[in-house]
Amino acid sequence: MNRIFEWVDERTGLSGPVRDFLNYPIPKYVHRNFLYTLGGLTLITFMLQAVTGILLAFYYDPSTEEGAYDSVDYINYQLPLGWLIRGLHHYGSSAMVILVSLHMLRTYYFSAYKKPRELNWLTGVLLFFLVLSFGFTGYLLPWDQKGYWATKVGTEIAGSVPLIGSFIMHMMRGGDALGQATLSRFYAGHILLLPASVALLIVIHIFQLRHHGMAPAITTKAQAQSKTFVPFFPHWVLNDTLAGLGLLALLVYMTWANHAPLGFPADPTSNNFVPRPEWYFMFYFQLLKYFPGALEPVATILIPLFLFGSMILLPFVDLSEERRPWRKPVTTLVSIFYIVVIIVFTILGMAAYA
Amino acid sequence: MAAPKLPPLPADKGVWDDHAIDRRGFLEAAFGVLAGMGALLVAVPGVRFLVGNSLDVTATKWVELPIKVADLAPGVMAQMSYNADETDEWRAVVQRGIVYVSSPDGGNTFSVLDGTCTHLGCIVQWDQDKNEFVCPCHSGRFTHAGEVISGPPPRRLRQMATKVQDGSLFIEI
Repeated sequence: MNRIFEWVDERTGLSGPVRDFLNYPIPKYVHRNFLYTLGGLTLITFMLQAVTGILLAFYYDPSTEEGAYDSVDYINYQLPLGWLIRGLHHYGSSAMVILVSLHMLRTYYFSAYKKPRELNWLTGVLLFFLVLSFGFTGYLLPWDQKGYWATKVGTEIAGSVPLIGSFIMHMMRGGDALGQATLSRFYAGHILLLPASVALLIVIHIFQLRHHGMAPAITTKAQAQSKTFVPFFPHWVLNDTLAGLGLLALLVYMTWANHAPLGFPADPTSNNFVPRPEWYFMFYFQLLKYFPGALEPVATILIPLFLFGSMILLPFVDLSEERRPWRKPVTTLVSIFYIVVIIVFTILGMAAYA
Repeated sequence: MAAPKLPPLPADKGVWDDHAIDRRGFLEAAFGVLAGMGALLVAVPGVRFLVGNSLDVTATKWVELPIKVADLAPGVMAQMSYNADETDEWRAVVQRGIVYVSSPDGGNTFSVLDGTCTHLGCIVQWDQDKNEFVCPCHSGRFTHAGEVISGPPPRRLRQMATKVQDGSLFIEI
């Protein structure tokens, strides 16, 4: 066994870098805090989405005239364990949105975006944006009512951008109306472009993390543990593995208790269907109601630009040395304000169509 | 542009070829130009390929509505769907849409409104009791003539061109 290992290592030279990667010292305050598993959990969910996604691609037919819908229907209701694989992919996508958000909040409240980690925060913001793009492109694929209308509304929002809106909308749809070109584009984006981009960004994200090490501890208790280390493997990896198994169990349970939904087939002429986005876009959908006529671009352009813009600018605006959230009330209160707004409008949106 | 000096090689390995190293700046620039050309050669047709036929303007056409002009009752808002043969990429499909037809005088003058909300493209619903259209997405409201009453829609409902042939009503889509 040892000789085989040495033979391979002599020809690949991999054992050194791999050993360095696995022996990386993790401060004890990180190892002891489960909040630090959120990033690893997001990565585990991404791997789960990749595996279930590849499996689904073996059966899915990306064509509008019943192909897409019927193949998803077949996967969901007839294929052995189809309900499980599609269900894991379905609930996994929501889990990913939640985990990325929590991971970002953890980073935010621990002030881990501050110098010299600004670029790691930026790759994180970009990854967050790509995860939302995954969701948006993903739920069109069954070509059911929900996906069709959410895509119609979503691309119209892009279309309301002044000057270049129409061009963006046509590029997203692959034409004037929603059709085969739209589905093909969303499919290619969802299974090729986005996974490749996300995988590349994750590598950069983790490389940067390793380059800088963990951000300094913010509590005195944690600071006392910042000079003691455990190796990344197996100590830290075991944490992530436990958390990952817990998440997998939860997703399997959710899928088993409630199979992933599939609505009626897309129908451009139905006016009794009430279009609704996925829950994580609901607050925004609700927000769009409050901006009449001429103010529409405020909701469709300025608010998203402001949200993403403030996320991007955060590490370049908050330049103070202070890392403790209770000592920097402005950033803490702003974040709480955003969270409350998102929760309130999500509830309003859900309640309006319950 | 002078390239930064290279660190010396380990003594047991050998030495840098100084003659070749002198040309490093030129070679780097040459690489930049050639690689840039290669990237452009792939990117330009690639982008054109991606745009594809996305920006084509669909020619308007006349479509017959499933109603005879004589059957239009005065003051009734009739919801109708139309079908038109279209080519979606390589596939022949039936394009469908919803319009609202009304005739205040029972068949002499008509109003045909596109049922697509001008806000974000959902299909509006006719509320007979309130005598107005309501969009189920963001609660935009329009009068029976298609004018905006309230909510986010930036424009009135699209009034479609109509013509009558042999007693049948045609609209231009």
